[in-house]
Amino acid sequence: MDQQQGYADDVVKGFILWSMVWGLVTVLIGVLISLQLVYPQLNLPPFLTYGRLRPVHTNAGIFGWGIGSFMAFFFYITQRLTKTRLWSPGLARVQLWLFNVIIALAAVTLLAGMNRSKEYAELEWPVALLVVVLWVIFSVNIIMTIAKRKEEQMYISLWYILATLVGVAVLYLVNNVSIPVSLFKSYSAYAGANDANVQWWYGHNAVAMVLTTPPLALFYYYLPKSTGVPIYSHRMGVIAFWSLIFMYLWTGAHHLLWTPVPDWVQTLAMGFSVMLIAPSWASVFNGYFSMEGQWNQMRDNYLVKFLIFAITFYGLQTLQGPSQAVRTFSAFIHYTDWVPGHVHMGTLGWVSLVIFAGIYYTIPKLYGREIYSVGLANLHFWLAVTGQIIFSITMWVAGVQQASMLHASNPDGSLHYSFMETLIELYPYWTWRSIAGIIYLASLLVFLYNIVKTISAGKAQPAEQKA
Amino acid sequence: MDLASVYYLGVTFLLFGIFVAIVVRTYSRKNRERGEDPKYRMMHED
Amino acid sequence: MTERKMVVFLIAATCVFLVGTIVTMVVPFKSINDPKLKIATVKPYTPLQLEGRDIYIREGCNNCHTQTVRPLLADTERYGEYSKTGEFVYDQPFLWGSRRTGPDLARIGGKYPDAWHEKHMKDPQSMVPRSNMPKYAFLTHPLDTSLTEKKMKTLGFPYTQADLAACQGKTELDAMVAYLQKLGTDIPWREAAKTQLVGELKNPFLDNVTVLPEGKKIYDANCAQCHGADLKGGVGPSLVDIDKPDADIFTTVYAGRQATGMPAFGDTLGKERTWKVVTFLKLRQRH
Repeated sequence: MDQQQGYADDVVKGFILWSMVWGLVTVLIGVLISLQLVYPQLNLPPFLTYGRLRPVHTNAGIFGWGIGSFMAFFFYITQRLTKTRLWSPGLARVQLWLFNVIIALAAVTLLAGMNRSKEYAELEWPVALLVVVLWVIFSVNIIMTIAKRKEEQMYISLWYILATLVGVAVLYLVNNVSIPVSLFKSYSAYAGANDANVQWWYGHNAVAMVLTTPPLALFYYYLPKSTGVPIYSHRMGVIAFWSLIFMYLWTGAHHLLWTPVPDWVQTLAMGFSVMLIAPSWASVFNGYFSMEGQWNQMRDNYLVKFLIFAITFYGLQTLQGPSQAVRTFSAFIHYTDWVPGHVHMGTLGWVSLVIFAGIYYTIPKLYGREIYSVGLANLHFWLAVTGQIIFSITMWVAGVQQASMLHASNPDGSLHYSFMETLIELYPYWTWRSIAGIIYLASLLVFLYNIVKTISAGKAQPAEQKA
Repeated sequence: MDLASVYYLGVTFLLFGIFVAIVVRTYSRKNRERGEDPKYRMMHED
Repeated sequence: MTERKMVVFLIAATCVFLVGTIVTMVVPFKSINDPKLKIATVKPYTPLQLEGRDIYIREGCNNCHTQTVRPLLADTERYGEYSKTGEFVYDQPFLWGSRRTGPDLARIGGKYPDAWHEKHMKDPQSMVPRSNMPKYAFLTHPLDTSLTEKKMKTLGFPYTQADLAACQGKTELDAMVAYLQKLGTDIPWREAAKTQLVGELKNPFLDNVTVLPEGKKIYDANCAQCHGADLKGGVGPSLVDIDKPDADIFTTVYAGRQATGMPAFGDTLGKERTWKVVTFLKLRQRH
């Protein structure tokens, strides 16, 4: 039997294609809300205001594009690393339906103003309950497949996959505990500083369990597959794995420096954030060392280009993140545009570039076709990287400028600038950020076109590659 | 040194000990082949 | 064998998660709930304030406004006394936010009169030129009170029938303003922080016409929204025929007047610029 046919891959195709739809939605809304900041008349109350659209942007990005594509890749990678057919393809189909229903419901309820207000946990309790059901059926399917695996040892990607399943479950359940008032309204079970601390324990570990461990699972799988050379050190991956999942959970309160959350919690978060550099960079080095003797592939192989740029952005991200987690620097840049600049280096640079590589690798395999155009893939790459870099750099500069102005004082001790004087200085930067977003949007359109053409009109792959 | 500091240091050293144990075990000569085996095996499939 | 190994792995990974979780998420409940951090004057929300808070959440105001003043000069000078743990015990959920696209609102209560907020919510640019806040004129429709009592019960907040009756006939905008006016006022920080102006107040720019252009600029940026571009008044009184000693005007602008809703501008303007605007107000009648 052809191995490829033995795997349940229809659902992988479904998740990939739907996640691409939600990814496009994410960036479209991102561009819209970035323009709203410069042109407030683009707010169309009540439904299309910045306040209601921004959670749609983040939820569509993290859950629609991120989780959606990770579900596809977890199904794909798990089956291959275990040499085992998915435990229940039927359940996976149900999961795809439920996933799309949830994302659509999320968009509708958020625009209607049903919103718990906690970042990345905005969905009201009925939708949040559906998310729990979704995650349970996903986890059961993956865990049962791994339990029945035909490979005794688990490759490091599977470690990250399993950690993701457990981590997201714990985080989501705890932070979503609510007291319902009606079908559309609930209050958080925690109050004030407690609620803040629970929220950012969740919020920062959503970064760990959704935006770090899944892309690392992908990276460890797709880099060797793309280069044809094994990863540099599996054992270093193991050490980095345990260190990473241990340290991440301590760092949430670096989002709460200088707030009424206890100082000792803030200090621990600060310390562990700095220590996180080690396991993060272990993965970066694992990627770079794997390229020894293979650096020519940066020129010849567009998949490698996506992956190595991705891990480089991850490396920069995990240096910048800890620096922001230090009290003195946080005092300066927190609450300014610096932070969205940081976040988008992670999401547009690291996470999305890995997902792009995964899709470029997987779609041709699943459809038995060659990629429609390598030229377009390269164009996509350069547009995406250019857009991302313009985005982040303008935001960093804007953040530093505003921070400097906010902290400037006169000789008599009064503040030199009013808040509005600092805000109006941001408009030019925000215009540039919108331009960067539009460049990224263009890159995404090139990508979508290339993938659709690959599926509909790509050349059939030579037989020996298909096996 | 008060009790809290002793406790704090104790936990720190305990955690560090666990970390060292994991590193030693992972990088032991005995584990060398087994520890690196998955990275070769994953190259075979599909 | 393979199954057992995976189960062991899952348990191990869960335990690893739980260490940091317990230390930095579970244990802090004990520190935060410490009775010593309680502040006796902090009151739960009234029904109208709570409805306002729910509208604040519904509209996602927390996406642009924070509600924590940090113990940093730039924060305390701009927004007021730094935030205390005990001030948030009735906040389910907390609304500290993460990005200040707009200013912090933790101590907005009592800063402006109600009329300022109403005009500002309906048309922010009319009060704060070049602001990028969306217009919330649609909040003028009637407040839905069908769940109000249930909400108060759910949160265990005390209320009277009169409190509930006070919500009748109110608009969403009224509720929002009631909420904003409560923020940060449970501790008497405004009185405590009230600037004590000691010594003789003497205008260094007395009859100095060279500061008039700058005085006008300061007026246009900070005062015109309430007192009118032509000084004929609006939310605040007319200043056309202002006939008070320079020192009195200075004190009003610099330290504010709680009773009339006049905000204090000392922190934003400083003494020198305050004197310049005082000079502008006095001299413009003659020039």
